[in-house]
Amino acid sequence: MRVKLTEKDVLNPLGKVNGKDISLNPLPYDFDRVSMVDNTKPGADIILKVLSESLGNRKLQWLHKPAGAPATDFQIQKAASADLAILALGDCGSCTSWVVLDAIRLEERGIPTISLCSDHFAPFARELAKSHGLSDLRILEVKHPIAGLSVEEVKEKASRIVPSFLYLLQLP
Amino acid sequence: MAKKDTPIISNACGCLIDDIMQKPDREGDHLCSASESDMEFFVDPDPEKTSVDFYQRRLTDGLPIIPPTRERVDRFLNYSAHGPDDVLATLPPKMGQATPEKIAINSVMAGCRPGFQPVMEHVIQAISQDKFNLTGVNATTHPLSICTIVNGPLSKELGLNPGAGSLGPGNMGNATIGRSLRLCLINIAGAVPGIGDHATHGSPAKYSYCFTENEYDSPWDPFRVEMGCRKDASTVTVLAAEAPHNVNDHRSQKAEELLDTIVHTAATAGCNNSHVPGELLVIMSPEHAKTISREGWDKEDVKNYVHENSVLPASLGDRGGRKLDDEWIIGGNVRITRSPSDVLLIVSGGPGRHTMISHGFGNGSLSVTLPITLNDGSLSYSVEDFKKDN
Repeated sequence: MRVKLTEKDVLNPLGKVNGKDISLNPLPYDFDRVSMVDNTKPGADIILKVLSESLGNRKLQWLHKPAGAPATDFQIQKAASADLAILALGDCGSCTSWVVLDAIRLEERGIPTISLCSDHFAPFARELAKSHGLSDLRILEVKHPIAGLSVEEVKEKASRIVPSFLYLLQLP
Repeated sequence: MAKKDTPIISNACGCLIDDIMQKPDREGDHLCSASESDMEFFVDPDPEKTSVDFYQRRLTDGLPIIPPTRERVDRFLNYSAHGPDDVLATLPPKMGQATPEKIAINSVMAGCRPGFQPVMEHVIQAISQDKFNLTGVNATTHPLSICTIVNGPLSKELGLNPGAGSLGPGNMGNATIGRSLRLCLINIAGAVPGIGDHATHGSPAKYSYCFTENEYDSPWDPFRVEMGCRKDASTVTVLAAEAPHNVNDHRSQKAEELLDTIVHTAATAGCNNSHVPGELLVIMSPEHAKTISREGWDKEDVKNYVHENSVLPASLGDRGGRKLDDEWIIGGNVRITRSPSDVLLIVSGGPGRHTMISHGFGNGSLSVTLPITLNDGSLSYSVEDFKKDN
């Protein structure tokens, strides 16, 4: 008698992903008001300040939001009252998540955004944005680490991304 | 189990028995030559081989797994109140769909028993609530695990250990429910270390952190009653929490003395609560609880004391990732909890004069307690209530 032994199949433990698709809002050719959204991570305020100095005399609206948790509806509403929102800083897991997800909340309200993440967490930020339907979310990378550095060291790292920031905004 | 490979009629080879019997046959067994085998045995996959395969595909926590075969998974689904493909939750960061079948697959891998399925489904529904902030909990660099507390009659029915060693090791329910949750986070949510889970060091508590209350030796009302549920209900509670830290106090005879040992262990500069005050889990041994309660202190008294006195200088607290908000600073100090209700007090464990504390994720995540209910919303009094082939 010939006996065949067949190993039973094993089932796939991975969760199915149903992608959604959100449209990215184009950056405005001209804009007057900018929301600077600071999640209070060390250095976030310094980076935003350095970038703001390249924005001329545009009106800036400074906001604080939680780092590892979502912005409140009020904070989102306020941030969305400008022409453009810049969010900082994603330099750890939970803060990167909520920079990205709050940026997406703003994009869904029609507000173009630029998210600032450290280069170490930027790949995760892009994967997360993709999982949430916005694979082309604008993420500007600043060299990791930021926390634990002096003000001057953070300023120096921030100044290096100013040309990319201006290029994104098509500012001279 | 062995079974014949094919139904006799639909896959008949066409040979006539007379022909086979009359054919010269050197083996003398007169078997049909049209198929490669006469009998097919389906065998379980080798656990070692499957474990290595799954490990290399980053589908495990690094420990061996039970191969999730169809038969095993179906035994779990028999205890589900839902269809196998119903989406119970969508879990970040990958936004994977948590269905009863996917939960069952991961629970099989973890070594759970089929009757744990209703508990696991409620755990997954609990972590998906907005206030739990699974997005932040999964991704954070903080060594944050998810502590699961199973409370009520079902914890006894499932054989969870409320007594000596309740935080492990040694009990199948405590160990595998916590492990199943971790595997669900890795495989359904995408919390793969370094990819979707960015904990700087990770934590031993990320392997498993599940326990149950020792309500039989507790001087106070059960935890679920305090959470507003009926005493005959069973509940699951999920809390984003660090690994537990010991509080050794063998000498205090007064409630305040003993609680002072606890608050001085809890009020540390490096916890998340020091700069974003939030929940604190206090797992108190029955002996400690009785020392406190014999002076007439109830749970609210304990929670008030822990809240009022778990205090540290704001200058030390304000060194975390998020800036300490001025609203939490009182006279240059910060309390690590926002209110007495942030203190989750549960009696668990066996004899001995120890309490364990776990700091939470600050106010970045709030615990969730769900009663274990059937589809119609009625309380479940036994996991057998869920069984489909009853």
